[in-house]
Amino acid sequence: MNDSMTLGIHRVWKDILVHKMNPSPGTLLLDVAGGTGDIAFRFINYVRSVRERQLQRKLRHHQNLSWQEIAESYQEDKSKSLGDSQVVVCDINKEMLKVGKQRAQHLGYTEGLSWVLGNAEELPFDDDKFDVYTIAFGIRNVTRIDLALQEAYRVLKPGGRFLCLEFSHVSNPLLSSLYDLYSFQVIPVLGEVIAGDWKSYQYLVESIRRFPPQEELKAMIEDAGFLKVDYQNLNSGIVAIHSGFKL
Amino acid sequence: ALRYQLSVPQRALQASAVLRRVSDEQHKEPLASSSQQQFDSHPTDQQPEQESQGPRPSYTGQGGQESEDYESEEQLQHRILTAALEFVPEHGWTAEAIAEGAKTLGLSAASAGMFQNDGSELILHFVSQCNTKLTELLEQEQKQVQLGEAEKKPLDQFLRDAVQARLRMLIPYIEKWPQALSILLLPHNIPASLNLLTSMIDDIWHYAGDQSTDFNWYTRRAVLTGVYNTTELVMMQDSSPDFEDTWRFLENRVADAMNMGNTANQVQSTGEALVQGLMGAAVTIKNLTGLNQSR
Repeated sequence: MNDSMTLGIHRVWKDILVHKMNPSPGTLLLDVAGGTGDIAFRFINYVRSVRERQLQRKLRHHQNLSWQEIAESYQEDKSKSLGDSQVVVCDINKEMLKVGKQRAQHLGYTEGLSWVLGNAEELPFDDDKFDVYTIAFGIRNVTRIDLALQEAYRVLKPGGRFLCLEFSHVSNPLLSSLYDLYSFQVIPVLGEVIAGDWKSYQYLVESIRRFPPQEELKAMIEDAGFLKVDYQNLNSGIVAIHSGFKL
Repeated sequence: ALRYQLSVPQRALQASAVLRRVSDEQHKEPLASSSQQQFDSHPTDQQPEQESQGPRPSYTGQGGQESEDYESEEQLQHRILTAALEFVPEHGWTAEAIAEGAKTLGLSAASAGMFQNDGSELILHFVSQCNTKLTELLEQEQKQVQLGEAEKKPLDQFLRDAVQARLRMLIPYIEKWPQALSILLLPHNIPASLNLLTSMIDDIWHYAGDQSTDFNWYTRRAVLTGVYNTTELVMMQDSSPDFEDTWRFLENRVADAMNMGNTANQVQSTGEALVQGLMGAAVTIKNLTGLNQSR
C-alpha cells in the first residue's frame, strides 16, 4: 500500500534518511514506530558495507603480514561483521513487531536486531543509552509529540542524534495544489481498492494536513533541548527530515 | 562573539550534557584566543567522560544570564574538530576522523553528523588554526625585535622563515595533505579557503613591515601567494630528509621575488630612458625640418 500511494518513492526517502545518518560501525540505533523494520534493515546494510570497507583498508595496510597472521585476523573479524552495531526496534503495536521479525527472518537478518514493545511517549529504556534515535512516519501518530521528543532526548547519549522522517508541508503553490488533488482524490480510492478501507486512508491524508509544518516541528524539537536542529525537504516538502543533536 | 542563547522556557533542570561552563576556564578573552586556550587545555583533560556526564548547574529561570557563561555550539564544534585532528593521519580528512575525535570528548560518534560528510570543515578548521599559530609566532618575534632582544631580519629572510614556519605545521599531516588540498579546491570550498589564504599572506606582509597603499600592495600579495603555493606543492612530493629540497626551493623563489622588484625598476627606468630618447629624436627632426622655428 505504501508503494502504491507513494509510487515506491518511500523507499528512496528511507534510503536518504539512513545516508544522512551515515552510521559508523558500533552505533546503537533506536528505531521508534519502525515495526516493520524498514529503517533497521537499511541501517544494518549500511553498517555492514562500511565495516567491509574498513576491513579492506586495514588489510591493505597489513600487506606485509605473513599469510598465517592474515588468516587469523579473518577469524576475529568474521565475528564482528557489524562491528558491534545494534538496532533496537520499538513499536507500540505487537502485530507490527511480529511482521518485522518475520521479514527479518525471511530476508536473512540474524544479528544486531532487537524487538521491543513500547510507547514513544514513555520509552522502556534507561537514560543516555543510544547513539541515534529515528522515527520514520511514526511521529504523526503520537498523541503528545512533545512527550515523545522529551523521551527521545532522555534516552540519547550526549552527542547523540535525533532524526525524524515525516510528511510535511509543501510551500510551492502549484505543487501544493497537485499534491492536494492527489491526496484527497487518489489515495482514499487506492485504499478502498487495494485494502478495502476508504476511511483509514482519508484519515491518513487529513492527519498529514494537520501535522505541524517544518518550522513548527523544528521549534518543538528545540524546546525538547536539542541543538543544531535543522530540516531537509525531500520532494519540495512532501516529506521532511528533521535532525537535532543532544549536546 | 557568537553566544548561543538558549531561549527555552523555564524548566527545572535543563542540563546540557556537554556544553561546559566556560567561566570555569577563566573565559574573558575574545573568541579566537579562548578557543586556543581550550585547545591547549584539552590534552590535560584526564576524564572527558566524567566531565561531560557530571552534575550540571540547573537553570533557575534566569536562562538569559546563565547562558552567557555556557560554551556556544560553535566552540563545541571547534573542540570536536581539534580533537579530530589527532585521528587524521589514520583516517584522513573524513567524517570518521571527526567521529573518533568526538568519542575522545565523551560524545557519541553520531555527533559527527553535525559536520559535512566530506571533511571540508575539518580541513578549514585546521588551516585557520595554523594561520592563527603563525600570526602569534610573528607577533612574538616582532615583540622581541621591539624589545631589542632580537635583530630585525632582512626582508628575504623574514619571508623565508615565515613561509617555512607555516609549511612545517603541515608535516604531521603531510601524507593526507594532498587529499586536503583537492577538497579545498572544490567549488563550494573555494571562497572560504581563498579567504584564509589571502588573510595569511596579508598577515605575513603586515609583520614584514609592508605599509604600501598603492598598486604594490597587490603585486606583493600576488607574488608571495605564488611563492607559498608553489612551495607547498613541492613539499608534497619531497622525500629529502627534513624537506631540505623544499626549503632550498623556497629560498630560490624568495630570491626571485626580491629581484623582481629590481627588474620592475629597471624596466621602468629603461622605459623612461627610451621615451626621453624618442622625444629627443622627435625634437631633432622638427628642428631639421624647420617646424620648430617660431615665426
